[in-house]
Amino acid sequence: MQQPEAHSDHGTEHGASHGEEGFNAGEVIIDHVANSSPDHPILHLPSIAGVDLSISKHVLMLWIVATIVFTTITWTTRRYLKQKRPIPTGFMIMIEWLVQAVRDSIVRPNVGGKYVMTWAPLILTFFCFIVVANGIGLIPIFEVVGLIDHYLLHTGEHSFLKRLIHGGTTATANYNVTAALAVITFFAIIIAGTKAHGFVQHWKNLVPSGLPKFVYVILIPIELMGMVVKPFALTMRLAANMMGGHIAILAILSFVFLFYELFQSAIVGVGVGVALSIPLAVGISTLEILVILVQAYVFTLLTAVFIGMAINVHH
Amino acid sequence: MENLHLFGAALGLGMIVIGAGLAIGKFAAAAAESIARQPSAADKITGAVNLPLFLLEGATILAEVFVLLIVFS
Repeated sequence: MQQPEAHSDHGTEHGASHGEEGFNAGEVIIDHVANSSPDHPILHLPSIAGVDLSISKHVLMLWIVATIVFTTITWTTRRYLKQKRPIPTGFMIMIEWLVQAVRDSIVRPNVGGKYVMTWAPLILTFFCFIVVANGIGLIPIFEVVGLIDHYLLHTGEHSFLKRLIHGGTTATANYNVTAALAVITFFAIIIAGTKAHGFVQHWKNLVPSGLPKFVYVILIPIELMGMVVKPFALTMRLAANMMGGHIAILAILSFVFLFYELFQSAIVGVGVGVALSIPLAVGISTLEILVILVQAYVFTLLTAVFIGMAINVHH
Repeated sequence: MENLHLFGAALGLGMIVIGAGLAIGKFAAAAAESIARQPSAADKITGAVNLPLFLLEGATILAEVFVLLIVFS
């Protein structure tokens, strides 16, 4: 993070000539990736029991994602069920393929044949939600609103539209969102173990039986820690992956402005943009499409593996 | 002297990349070798390699997050 400081120094050198404040790459990138500040959410709502219910940009994105997933999938499935001959067409083919792939290649090998239909719905929900939430962050919907605002409407600094523009972020890049998903996994593991073995037996299954007593002194704390570490690793993996990709893209795109400030000429900035930033950003965006799918797959696979570990105990 | 934490973060990031690179290289080498030896089991080998690969990735990402925390705090 030395870069922005160095350039703000540079900015003061040349600042007198054009009278603009320097471009702070770090600040802009964090502003794009992070949630909106508590003082300026998109929509102010009263806080209930100390919980601020204001709609920030990640909350907005979560609702959009939930709406998209819910409407497309229920609408397609309803339409399919209404048909006289049950032959899937169009989008339904994709849903059927997805359901079958998740059930047969993620859930069944890990959870086992007996509990497939119990846990496949949860894991499918995870998969659909995470794929859409990850993917929607790469689509610049709200930037179009921003362009219209910039050139046609000219609203104020903290207007509703200005706050809405920053909504186009990845909700899964927020640790709180992924933590909520991982908490569901945490309870799913306990419920799976309880359903398969009974409540007491599930906790007994955490450690293998028939070991010398002093081993348990070490083993029980480790296993209890492992219960928390599993969801924590899920949280961090998803959020950090999504955030990392966006930071990389934005950092590369900010070269344009950094070089413009360095040489004080728009041609250098645009040249760096065309020659370096845009090809690299396109490459990283392509990589991000892969990361989106892989991260959704990893989250669901690991959830299935953890649930399977609680059900099929090998001691 | 006041920016020593940045030095530590950069050093840590480099070491993370070395470790993760070595580990991924080992995974890829072992997977390629075993698939070459038994091409019919390629699907099973890929499945077996995937899970530890993701666990490795999780550890690496965690370390990188902590480096970012050093930088930003």
